Amino acid sequence: MTAAVTKAPAGATAAAITAIPPRPSRAFRDAVAVALIAGGGLAAYWIFPEDLGLLTRILATCLYVLSLDLVLGFCGIATLGQAALFGTGAYAAGIAAVHLVADPILLLVVGGVAGGLMALATGALVLRAHGLTLLMLTIAVTQLLQELANKLRWLTGGSDGLSGVEPDPVLGLFRFDMYGRTSYLFALAVLVVGVVVAQRIVRSPFGLACRGVKEDPLRVAALGGSPRGHLVGMYTVSGVFAGVAGALTAVTSGIVGLDSLSFTWSAEALVMLVLGGAGHLYGAVVGTVAFMGVHHVLASTNPFHWMLFIGLFLMAIVLFAPGGITGGVARIAGLVRRRAP
Amino acid sequence: MSPVLRTALFGTAVGLALMAGPALAATIKVGVIAPFSGPFATAGQTFKQAIEVYQAQHGKTVGGDTIEFVFKDLDQANPAQSKALAQELIVKEKVGYLAGFFFTPDALAVAPLIDEAKIPCVIFNAATSAITEKSPLYVRTSFTLWQASVPLADYVHKQGVKKVITAVSDYGPGIDGETAFKTTFEKAGGQVVDTIRMPLKSTDFAPFMQRIKDSGAEAIYAFLPAGPTTLAFAKAFNDTGLKAAGIKFFGPGDITQEPDLPALGDAALGIVTSFHYSQAHDSAMNKAFVAKHKELFGSTQTVTFTSVGAYDGTHLIYKMVEATGGKSDGAKAVDAIKNLSWESPRGPLKLDPASRTVIQTMYIRETVRGADGLINKEIAAIPDQPDYGYKGGK
Repeated sequence: MTAAVTKAPAGATAAAITAIPPRPSRAFRDAVAVALIAGGGLAAYWIFPEDLGLLTRILATCLYVLSLDLVLGFCGIATLGQAALFGTGAYAAGIAAVHLVADPILLLVVGGVAGGLMALATGALVLRAHGLTLLMLTIAVTQLLQELANKLRWLTGGSDGLSGVEPDPVLGLFRFDMYGRTSYLFALAVLVVGVVVAQRIVRSPFGLACRGVKEDPLRVAALGGSPRGHLVGMYTVSGVFAGVAGALTAVTSGIVGLDSLSFTWSAEALVMLVLGGAGHLYGAVVGTVAFMGVHHVLASTNPFHWMLFIGLFLMAIVLFAPGGITGGVARIAGLVRRRAP
Repeated sequence: MSPVLRTALFGTAVGLALMAGPALAATIKVGVIAPFSGPFATAGQTFKQAIEVYQAQHGKTVGGDTIEFVFKDLDQANPAQSKALAQELIVKEKVGYLAGFFFTPDALAVAPLIDEAKIPCVIFNAATSAITEKSPLYVRTSFTLWQASVPLADYVHKQGVKKVITAVSDYGPGIDGETAFKTTFEKAGGQVVDTIRMPLKSTDFAPFMQRIKDSGAEAIYAFLPAGPTTLAFAKAFNDTGLKAAGIKFFGPGDITQEPDLPALGDAALGIVTSFHYSQAHDSAMNKAFVAKHKELFGSTQTVTFTSVGAYDGTHLIYKMVEATGGKSDGAKAVDAIKNLSWESPRGPLKLDPASRTVIQTMYIRETVRGADGLINKEIAAIPDQPDYGYKGGK
């Protein structure tokens, strides 16, 4: 296909470019994406009424991977410590649910604030470093927090997990039931709100400045901006998102385990983001749905050897669509657009 | 659809199902959640094999109802995933029983679900005492750390050992074991000179060995989760000369579980453990169990405590199906097996009506070289041990 494109004479290409209809505005495309997520989510509710448990987990994970996209895709911060922020939110919401409040929305706020504060505190420290050092530091923060959660058994339940998280009905009306209907719709609403807010943030002057820092921090500094300030700011925003995702998981599953602060969980977020494509928010959603969907189908078809197949699937994506699924789709769409008469 | 209409329809459907129940031979599904891939895959494998051995010996039907097992993989402790899987099993597969559970948090996560769906949950392994307090529908056929450690502490004291040091992995079961041993041993008049808690993932034990040496203890009580850490610990114990210095090594039987013995090698010789099952247990029933396993799977290397946990769990599920005539009635099913006594490959068992954990014989075993490699040889039996950790144990 590339051969065909390069062979075309220069004049023809120029003509083809002018023939492309004007791209719809950014705001319009953002609105379409949100509508797609909400519509797809509702469709899934009707199509898979018996799989809502898994689907709820996917939605909460989407929000978590989205939080990673904010720092990795928009700021270029390579982190393997996103679970630290997720777990902080999950434990904060879990502990609050056991001892203080039971309103699910309030619990999400608690999780978000806790995740944000943790990101602010650790971000101010670790973002002094770059590259591999930064990567190591984010791993270290996660490990420290996990060990802390293990040690504070009286508060967190240690390795047994923090159970007994029993939130009140949403808005006092909808009880969390065994079929997971409330959980699912609640998670979908939270995700849609999360995506809209994330869109506003990355399109804002602050979001654009963060992109500038990613492209060329020296230049931003020369223009009088503060690269590190922006990075810490976005890291904190990402912490709020991750914290809300953690709280959402705690509220919908009723338990928080040490796995929510594990290195594996950080790494999985990265895998899902790379799979979907980093740097445009929707990759996070697409990648999470694809990874967890494939994971689920394979694991239920063959609970004993599914890991082999998921490995092959990931290798295929990395080899044939280096920009992730959304990158691959965009490339194909671009080719189709160019070849269209 | 209005909620009223939906409820009415649902009620009708349930009513019809109940009426149709006894007349038709049905398939009753049992959902098994356990690690079938990843580092703990052996545990899930032992569950599955033991279930197959039981079905080969007792058939796949109870009173005309076919029992079918559905397996779900949960490769590591992940309670949120455990709950999602259980939800799927209950809502989509419509299982009548949940079973399996290797890790405590995974078992705890399903408590609200089994309460709401009113289905029994048989725990094949997870060993923290508190689990069965969370729902009256939990039944456990494995053991608890308290159950293994209390009789061991008594035994150690009777051997004339006065000073013991404990060394456990710093997580729930490790701390349970330490507390149980320390409480019992000190009550008996012994002295625990120091309690060491080691990070769960550490593999370098030399500093701890030095502390053990300096403490002047005559014996150690050690608990680590089965696997690589145990190997490193036992090797360090030998290499640093503690074994040669005559310090005795005691602990719950996880540390010398059968699948690990070949890798442990001579480092395991002389370790004295307390546990509810040894593959070398001398009874006709155990011989039949091991022989059937060998016939089906060609090897007996993996037959260990998780195998009998699953084997006896399957037995209880069969008994519950029998008692309810195949109908879904979790409370009645569990009531029917409270106080049930039966013979297992590990010896006589009885389900404690209060804690719903099995009351069983704890064996004191020494690792020795048998005809086909290392075995856990039973040297003493302490019958009728309940779960000492149930409520108030802490």
